[in-house]
Amino acid sequence: MENSLFSKPRDLFLDVVNPRDYVQIDSVSHMYQLLKDSVQKPLKMILLYGRPGTGKSMLLHKLHHDLSKHQKVFMVSTPIIDEDDFLRVLAQNIFGHAPREVMTLNRFLEVSGALSLSDVPIVLLDEAQLYSSALMEKIRLISDARAIKFVITLHKTDKEDVIAKEHFQTRIWESIELQNASAEELKVYIQKKLLKANCFDVANMFNDKNMKLITSLTKGNYRETNKLLFSLFSLYCWYEENQPHSLQYNAIKPKWIEMAAIHTGLIHA
Amino acid sequence: MLDIKRLERRWLKYKIKKFLPYAVGVIAILILGITTFFWTYPEDSKNAPKVVTLPQKLPAEPVVQPIETTVLEPSMEFVQSFQGTPPPQKAQAVAAYSPKPVQRQVYSKPVVETFNVPEYTPPQPKVLTPAPKVSTNANGISINRDESKLDIDELQSRFKENSNANLGLFIARYHYEHGNYSEAYNYALKTNTLNNRIDESWILFAKSLVKLNRIDQAKKTLQLYISQSNSDNAKGLLESIDNGSFK
Ligand SMILES: Nc1ncnc2c1ncn2[C@@H]1O[C@H](COP(=O)(O)OP(=O)(O)OP(=O)(O)O)[C@@H](O)[C@H]1O
Ligand SMILES: [Mg+2]
Repeated sequence: MENSLFSKPRDLFLDVVNPRDYVQIDSVSHMYQLLKDSVQKPLKMILLYGRPGTGKSMLLHKLHHDLSKHQKVFMVSTPIIDEDDFLRVLAQNIFGHAPREVMTLNRFLEVSGALSLSDVPIVLLDEAQLYSSALMEKIRLISDARAIKFVITLHKTDKEDVIAKEHFQTRIWESIELQNASAEELKVYIQKKLLKANCFDVANMFNDKNMKLITSLTKGNYRETNKLLFSLFSLYCWYEENQPHSLQYNAIKPKWIEMAAIHTGLIHA
Repeated sequence: MLDIKRLERRWLKYKIKKFLPYAVGVIAILILGITTFFWTYPEDSKNAPKVVTLPQKLPAEPVVQPIETTVLEPSMEFVQSFQGTPPPQKAQAVAAYSPKPVQRQVYSKPVVETFNVPEYTPPQPKVLTPAPKVSTNANGISINRDESKLDIDELQSRFKENSNANLGLFIARYHYEHGNYSEAYNYALKTNTLNNRIDESWILFAKSLVKLNRIDQAKKTLQLYISQSNSDNAKGLLESIDNGSFK
């Protein structure tokens, strides 16, 4: 099964975030440019929000990857929930300060002030909806003091929308919203991914009808698309091994797209 | 990991469910048609109950649409439920025929596996809008839109390096879809020289020729290819060029 024609494309659609796999898509690279510009402006906090699976973590990782070539930037991809730990980790990684004492906010600001860096260091916080409001308040104070510039990503579900409004609306100085892809963008996403990995033959199999079906099933969501294609190619691997006569190489079978959608729960049957 | 057999059964169930409203609609219209036909027939219309038995003749009717073949069975129950009731009134029957079933809603349940169980709210109309909505002061940032489209130049230079027939085919297709028929012709030809057994490269080549108004050459190419391969696609294309349905 592993040397199947379809095992490589299948693994391309594993749901992992790696800046090297970043694909340029119209609206996404626009947003990325905005994000990069915001970081260079004298802002205190930048918010990147959008529904789950719209590529926030991907953009944040890419930003980290690109910025770290030129400046001090630290990424917190898994939230550090404990306040003391949070300040400690930041102090250590940004100011090179490994304190023995408890790290209070005041102490943290003192340490930062003593260093008087020329550029405000940048900290990227993924999944910010998981931080408590008390910790969020401290984060705000730190950025108000211009000790650190934060770039924050946030889920945009209805509940979190409220948090976003309460917490950030007046305090965030730039916010950027990511959205699901259009049919055209999703096609570019899939094709670019396949072509990048030299899966030309498989890229040839996707026609416009296939793409319409995939977009209507996933609503253009990148994560849902990854899941759908992962199980679609798993199906192909299975058929290739067990029923090779049922394979067609000139187009993707709608039936198999729908079966993959049933498997991932996009269709209820 | 994948239980294909079970998945296939679930898929079949899903398809039947999805097409049931159509089938019901078609049958309702058939019943309506037949009943009105007999109602307006003076001799038979005196005997109303006769009408009720008519739906049983349905399976013999040859007019059923092709896709309904798999779904006819379950909908017969529906037909039987009509028996004993008076002939359906026009308004009812029309209501039963809903040309667009609620198929969209079938997909909307979220399956997202993160710990805080984020929710997909049901389909939003804005999802499909292509243009990015920028909520901030986009002070004159203009990005090169073409840069993030599929970079065809890059693919073409890759093709120069690796001469991969599948990549050639991809590029030919791209150009054909974008109306660059002479480029499509070029790449179909290059693909074909690398591997002349790819059906689609012949097809694209011939189609591009037609678009470039070189119809005779297109036909000759197809005839040649058909004589070698017996390709059904090629035959189909040749036929539609001949009868003018492909232009
Ligand atoms: N521009 C892109 N290039 C390549 N892959 C992408 C891109 N955007 C999104 N993806 C892929 O889509 C998937 C989902 O994206 P990501 O994890 O960034 O979403 P998210 O918005 O952070 O979701 P959540 O709110 O659940 O954290 C990832 O596996 C990622 O690899
Ligand atoms: Mg994320």
